[in-house]
Order: sequence, then C-alpha cells, then structure tokens
Amino acid sequence: MKCSEVERVLPELVDGSLAAAFPADFESHLESCPACANLVSDLTLIATEARDLAECDEPSPRVWVRIAAQLRDEGLIRDPESRPILVPASPRRRWTSTAWWLAPVAAAVLAAGAYVVSHKPAPQVATQVSAPAPTNPAPQNSAQKSPDISPNPALVATTSQPVPATHSPTPKLAKPSDVVASAAYPTVEHEASAEDQQFLSVVSTRAPSLRATYEGQLQTVNANIREVQAYLEHYPGDQDARQQLMDAYQQKALLYQIALDRIQ
Amino acid sequence: MTDPKQRITEAEAIEQAKQGHEAAFETLYHLHKRRVYSLCLRMVPNPAQAEDLAQEAFLQLFRKIGTFRGESAFSTWLHRMTVNVVLMQLRKKGLPVVSLEETLESEDESPRKEFGTQDAKLTGSIDRLQLQRAIDKLPPGYRTVFVLHDVEGFEHNEIAQIVGCSIGNSKSQLHKARLKLRDYLKFMRAEKAKTG
Amino acid sequence: MAVLQQARIDYTNTVVTVVLVTCLSAASLAQSKKEYSYTVGPRANISVETQYGAISVKPGSANQVLVTATFKSDNVEVDQQQNGNRIEIASHLLRGTDPQIGHIDYELLIPPDANINLRSSNGPLSVERLQGDLTLEGTDAVVDIREVENGHVHVRTMRGPVTLTDVRNGHVEIDSISGDIQMKSVTGPLVQARSGSGRILYDGDFGSDGDYKFTTHTGDIEALVPADVSAAFRAHSVLGRVRHDFPLKPRHSRFREEAGRSFIGTSGQAASEVLLRSFSGRIRLKQR
Repeated sequence: MKCSEVERVLPELVDGSLAAAFPADFESHLESCPACANLVSDLTLIATEARDLAECDEPSPRVWVRIAAQLRDEGLIRDPESRPILVPASPRRRWTSTAWWLAPVAAAVLAAGAYVVSHKPAPQVATQVSAPAPTNPAPQNSAQKSPDISPNPALVATTSQPVPATHSPTPKLAKPSDVVASAAYPTVEHEASAEDQQFLSVVSTRAPSLRATYEGQLQTVNANIREVQAYLEHYPGDQDARQQLMDAYQQKALLYQIALDRIQ
Repeated sequence: MTDPKQRITEAEAIEQAKQGHEAAFETLYHLHKRRVYSLCLRMVPNPAQAEDLAQEAFLQLFRKIGTFRGESAFSTWLHRMTVNVVLMQLRKKGLPVVSLEETLESEDESPRKEFGTQDAKLTGSIDRLQLQRAIDKLPPGYRTVFVLHDVEGFEHNEIAQIVGCSIGNSKSQLHKARLKLRDYLKFMRAEKAKTG
Repeated sequence: MAVLQQARIDYTNTVVTVVLVTCLSAASLAQSKKEYSYTVGPRANISVETQYGAISVKPGSANQVLVTATFKSDNVEVDQQQNGNRIEIASHLLRGTDPQIGHIDYELLIPPDANINLRSSNGPLSVERLQGDLTLEGTDAVVDIREVENGHVHVRTMRGPVTLTDVRNGHVEIDSISGDIQMKSVTGPLVQARSGSGRILYDGDFGSDGDYKFTTHTGDIEALVPADVSAAFRAHSVLGRVRHDFPLKPRHSRFREEAGRSFIGTSGQAASEVLLRSFSGRIRLKQR
C-alpha cells in the first residue's frame, strides 16, 4: 500500500479504530512508514479524546432558574402541593380605621429587603429553597419578544394584566445537591405574606374595583423578589443581584405607597 | 435534588413532568444538563450563547414532553432536539453548518508533506483544554461534523440527515477537521515548549 | 271638536316639555365647566388630585394660576383652597357615586416657576414648558412631560407609561411597577429610571457631568446614543443578554466584564456616568 492510498482511506476512519476496518497491507504499510503511522495514531487519539468532552462542562445554575421561570410563565409547571401566596377573594373584613398602617408596612417591606440583602448566608446550610416564579404577564418577557426595541411614541399601559392567584404559587423546589441556601429567607417570606393579605383586604374594602389590578401587580413584584432570592441561593456573593433584590423590595414598597395614596 | 432516598428514576420523572411537577422537570434537567450544555458549547464557543441554546433545547423538550411515548431513549430525543436548536441558530446567523465541498483536497492536506521529516506524533494523552481550544478554532462547518461524530457519537448517516449533506461529505469534513486539529495541537504544544 | 282641541293642547304640552328638558340639559352642559383663578407669588405650590380625569399643565402668566375644570358628571365637586402661596384642588365624589363616572378633567395655566403635584388614577397627566419641581403620580395614567428644565421631576406610576422629552438640567426620578419609560433628550445631574417589567428606552447623549441609572427587573433597556457620546458605561444583567453595538474604550473597574452579561467601558471624555442594570431584561447600547 502506498502513502497516497492511505490518504484515500483515512476519511473512512470509523470510531477512532482503523484496524478493524482496513486490510492487512494497511497495517504493514504503517509498520514501515513512520509518517503515516504517526498521522493515523494522532487522528485516532484525537477521536478518542474527543469522546471525553461530551459531558465535561456544566452550565451555571442560572440556566435552570430561567427554564423554571419560563415553564411557570407557560403554565407547564402545575405543582399540586404548592400554595398560593395571596389570599383569594373571600370574606372581606371591614376596617373601621384608615389604612394608616400601610405606610409603616411599606417601610417594613423595605427594611426586610435591606436585611435580606445585607445578610450573609451560612455556607453549606441544607435547607429548602424557594423557586423563582416570575409571573410576567407582559408578552415582551416571553421567548417571543422581538430582538430590537423600537421607540414607540404611543406607549400604552398594556404591559400588565391581573394574573389569577393559581398562577403564582409558592412552590417547594427540590434542592440540587450543590446549592447553598440562605437560612434567613423563609422567615422574610412568611412576614410578607401576612402583610399582602392585609393589603388586599383593605383594597377590597376601600377600592374594590382596583383589587384585581393591585393583586396582579402584587403578584408580579412578589414573583420578582422570589426570583432574585432563588438566584442568590446559588450565587450569594453576587453584589449586582443583591442590589436587584433591594430594587425589587423597593418596587413592592412603591406599590404599597401608591395604594396608600390612592385609597386614603 | 431532594433526599437521595426520594430520588426518582428518569421514567418516573418523565411521567411526573407530564403532570406538571416542577421537581420532575428539575430532575430531568440535572440528569442531562452537562450533555446538552457541552454540546452547545462545543458548537458555539461562547458560554453565554451556549447557555441560551441549552435553555432553549430544554424548553422545547419540556413543552413537548406530553408527546413522549418512550419509543426511543429520552436522552436520544433530547440530544437530537439540542442539535436542531444549535443548527437552527447557526443557520440564522448565516454561518455554514457544513462545507459544500465533496472531495478531499489532494495536495496541501496530504501526509506526503511530512515524509522525510520524521514528524513527531502527539504522544500520550491530549490536554483537554488544548483540545477544546483547538475545536473552538475550527471553521464552523468542520466543527459541526467533528462535534457530532467524535464528541457526540452520531453516525455519518445520521449526521448527513441532520445537517443535510451526503455521507461522503460528512466523512471528508470529519477527516479535514481532525487534520486541522492535529495541526493546531502540535502548534500549541510547540508554543508551550518554547515558553517552558 | 273638544277632543281635537284637547289633543292639540296635549301635543303642545308635550312639545313644551321636550323643549324645556332640552334647555335644561343645555344649561347643565353649559355649566359643566368651571374656572378658578388665584394670585400667587414666586415658586407657588400647586396640587391637583382627581381619581379619574386628565390633568394638563402649561405655563401662563407670572403670578396667576388659572384652573379650568370640566365636569363629566353632576355627582362630583371640586374642593379647592388657597393658603398663601399654596393651592390645593381635589375632585370630591358625592356619596354613592361610581368614581369612574365622577370624572373631572383639569387644565391649568400656571407661572413657569411654580411647583406642581399631580395625582390621577387613569390620567392622562401632561406637563410642558415649566421650570419648577414636578411630582406626578398615577396608577394607569399615561404621563407626558416635555420641555421642562431646572426643576426636580418625580414620577411614579403603577402601570402607566411615562414619556419625557427635552427635560434638562434637573433631577429626574421615575419609578414604575410595570409601565414603560421613554426618555428623549433628557439630561441632568441625576437621571434615574426604574421599572419592574416595563421597558426603558433612552434616546440622547447623556449630557455632561451627570449620573444616569436605569434599572429594570424583567424589562429591556435600550440606550440610543450619538457617535460622540461622552460617558463611562457599565451595564449588567444577571440573567439577560447585554450588548453594545459600538466600540468602547477599556475602563479600569473593580467590576468584572462578562461576555454577553455585562460590559464596562468609556466613550469620548467619559463626562457622565451611566449605569444600566437589569435582573433578566436585555440591555443594549446602540449608536444612532
């Protein structure tokens, strides 16, 4: 066999193993031709080593966070054991006093956010993690959003719709083994829920026509807070994310303040 | 994942995912994330883009999970979906998925050039990082076929069907890819030897 | 004959009744506008609050405030009072009235240096050619502010979109839960825009020596700038894609650049500081 013939059959190299596919004179040529032998050896080595690359890289935890968020948006996640974070429209309590408490509540929400943002989680604490559940009602946040943002002189307030309570549960996420959890997180979420319930009760009483609107917005801001918290479970040192969490709490405080101004 | 005692099998996870259980989706994700992401990263050597593609592949899979009947392996299904997602992205960007030439170039790629030089071979194992870098440098068409065949294990007839070329083209692209990788790796090794 | 006469009388009565009702209706329509006039000194403070209704503010004479209230219903009143240099106007719904029906639109002509505070649920709220401090708040109100300079501009909406055009040399703070924020030729020592799920769009040159901070949670951020923009940029999205379409000079910073997720760099003399942040929105810096 000549070198030129070796050249012709090399593309037939299969699974890094030439020997099984080729005739005996190929082997004898390799024994007498170091150049061809080296070439075949190298190509075989490359093909063999390449196999090990199949699963050698790990995506960052944010990929699952985003997938879960999108699955929620599309209603593909329907966890039966999850509970809604907001009280559905049910017995309305009459409040005889003004909603003076909304102002300190708004401040408390902000303070809670500041506490969470500044708290350094204990390393390797294996506790349950909450999943992100951004219920972004605006179509712009789905995978179908257009690649370019064009100036729209007629921006219309259609970016939000009230989302039914069943679409924003507080799910229990099965914790990946490599996740570090924040011990302070469950406490903060529990306090916010009771305030949300009070908030919606007052809105129902004083401005019933606005309940659906505020409920939808509250779901959005709560989902945003949960989303960032879930991310911080995986990346506790991410300062930008901590600032985003503070911003998310400020948004919630803003919602409370707007409601306070509106219903007094 | 939850307590290992509660770990579920892939088949159970698939059935529970069809019911909308988040834990089941997550189980399937963690089972296959490395394979999917590595494939994306080999094909588009940009971690942010690779993550986006991996995300899209999983989303497409999860959207269709209700139609999975178990006729083929779940991993095969996911694997094929990932490849389609990546190739669609490459086509969208106008990048060649595979080169059009059919036949082997005769002169400049021939081992004949090395005759008489006792060209040293790549002894021992190849540094994985160097191999990754070398793959990243491949032209997109060569890279596609190399990754699909040598990294991911697709056969030439499958590659031909996936990328829309002939089996002969697939084989010649693979050969050229390997030759180029060999050159890159030797160069890298020589450079490393110089700097000590 | 008597029957015919009676019929004629009945007919006449009917016609008279119809005419009377029409006149009364016309009278009530004619009465649906009220004007209020106040004399004020420099830097007056004017506050207008209406649950449902538009509020429009334009510059008028230097020491007078003119308010025209257009009533869409008889079941709403205007509460108004003046205490020195402070004027407060609010719509007052009569008992049992549906707020959406109790609608008053306001048009104001005020001294250009006056400070205003506007609040409306559904708006729209519009302000132009003023130099005092502006505070605007709406739930779904569309907010439009144009040709304003030197004052502080504070805007808060829940869902209402906010548009600022030619706003210069003041502090600007815009907060919205989910409204879009659009800024064209907005410059000043501090310009801060925050929206949860709304988009932020900036078209301008970032002035000189200003601090610009745009933040969203899920909304996209896009900045369209001229080639000679002079600013130091930092952009970061925790989960979204980030890109810039023109070259930036490297900048020494404690923040790490991460391809596709963040960038840091300068253009021109880096006179202004621009920070673009999002949790999962896309961020794009484009050259005009």
